[in-house]
Amino acid sequence: MAVTTTSADINGIRDKASIVGIGETEFSFDSGRSELQLASEAIKAACDDAGISPHQIDGLVRYEMDNNQETMLIQSLGIENLRHWESVSYGGGAGNAVVGHAAAAIAAGYCNYVVCFRAANLRSQMRLGQARNPQRIAGGQQTFAAPFGSMAPVHQFSMFVRRYMHMYGATSEHFGWVAVTLREHASRNPRALRRDPITLDDHQNSRMVVDPLHLLDICQENDGAVAIVMTTPDRARDLRYAETLTLVEAAAQGSGPQNEGVIYRPDISVAESTNTARDLWARARLGPSDIDALMFYDHFTPFCLLNLEAYGFVPFGEAKDFVEGGQNIRFDGTLPINTHGGNHSEAYIHGLTHTQEAVRLIRGASTAQPPNKTIDRVLSCSSVAQLSAAVIIRRG
Amino acid sequence: MTQHQDQNIKSRPMTGPLEGIPLPDLDRLPDYERGFWEGSHNRELRIQKCCGCNTFRHLPTPMCPSCHSLEYKWSKVSGRGVVYSFVVVRNPVHPAIREREQVPYNISLIELEEQEGLRVCSNVLNIAPEDIYVDMPVQVTFMPTTDEPNVVLPLFVPSDWSPTA
Repeated sequence: MAVTTTSADINGIRDKASIVGIGETEFSFDSGRSELQLASEAIKAACDDAGISPHQIDGLVRYEMDNNQETMLIQSLGIENLRHWESVSYGGGAGNAVVGHAAAAIAAGYCNYVVCFRAANLRSQMRLGQARNPQRIAGGQQTFAAPFGSMAPVHQFSMFVRRYMHMYGATSEHFGWVAVTLREHASRNPRALRRDPITLDDHQNSRMVVDPLHLLDICQENDGAVAIVMTTPDRARDLRYAETLTLVEAAAQGSGPQNEGVIYRPDISVAESTNTARDLWARARLGPSDIDALMFYDHFTPFCLLNLEAYGFVPFGEAKDFVEGGQNIRFDGTLPINTHGGNHSEAYIHGLTHTQEAVRLIRGASTAQPPNKTIDRVLSCSSVAQLSAAVIIRRG
Repeated sequence: MTQHQDQNIKSRPMTGPLEGIPLPDLDRLPDYERGFWEGSHNRELRIQKCCGCNTFRHLPTPMCPSCHSLEYKWSKVSGRGVVYSFVVVRNPVHPAIREREQVPYNISLIELEEQEGLRVCSNVLNIAPEDIYVDMPVQVTFMPTTDEPNVVLPLFVPSDWSPTA
């Protein structure tokens, strides 16, 4: 069936929005406070970073899954007039998508200062990694999965991984090199929850959770909040980071076919983000060789390999060789991945930490800043096996 | 490289359905899903088939994603297939799995012989999880759940049939 691609090279947001502030709470396993407080603190921190007042916020783009409603934040932050609000669905699939939506709202002139945020007690309150199905299911894909014990995201995602290993000969050790590298990045990052360096042996000896995934392949669950503030480049030139503008160059979202139930689509050894990748490159009029660093949504380490391939950084089946030894993907390598430590070792805030780190890299402010190399463009993408989203952030 | 598990020690095979976990509520299922479970109840693996273009589909949907016909029938398939992918759950995330010590268990994605890409999620019984492999031939069998005997699951066992190209 033909896929319509005719609009893929229209890029109405190109360089029309600038990320002017980033902020976060501390990351923890028990924040001890409400999600509204976490959101308020992170948004205030992002506004402080930008040099604006929360009163000036007039746009909010939230994750549909976030418990903080717009009205609560208007009240808590003293927003005077919320001109634009929207929420993006699909859990981690909203990561990076919220950034694209916010940039579009700025480009359209719907609002002047828009905030994207994710605030959640994903450890001390609702843990997404636990089964929480009801006793009886009244239809939908769970009906055809849960009775066979497929009840949590890790059960579905590991199914992709097994097939990927079968198709391309990737091994658990290859995933281990991703884990070792992400942990090394986190070891330099004082915000990170897990900073003790690990070896490939540590990875291999970590408990098997869902074979083929070891514990050290799986992202942590934690509490915390992250926020970013965006405005027009004109306004950004009057704010704190006027010297180094951070611009949203392009954004894309996409699906794989036969999404409901994920594991039923044609070839599960290929990430569903190939459609998103094609649109992103067409809109940006760029390709993999233009990118200086990668922010990959690392809910499970193998998805860094799948997305290296889906976005065309390496041919299909060759990511295993690219990540082996970790040298290529380290902060001082040819193509650094997740210099903050990612969901895996810094914190799991549904992908918004990845956007934040992209901004830090552009500013030269990462705790694992690549030496001897200016970071001009970062690709940040979320891939959750059904729906995916990506943005390219560039130095203005 | 240190191995996590001794390769010579195998885990016990699954012998029947998992217990205490979510099951379909047969009275509340949408019409377009019910035929699958009615089939199992009658010890037949029935897959939704479009009356417009004769294409099988699973997961069931009200409309054919190929030709958009709303007309479908439930077609009995052979029950033969191969393991397309599988995982072995060793860490329980559901209380009933934990409390009744039901790990390890496998979740297997079975590609049915009738149509390329036609897959059902199930468990493979009577084999140690360490011995399951991608492309392993399997055959359907049916077993009622202990929690709700009216709910019968299509499960699979290793088989010696050979898929032909």
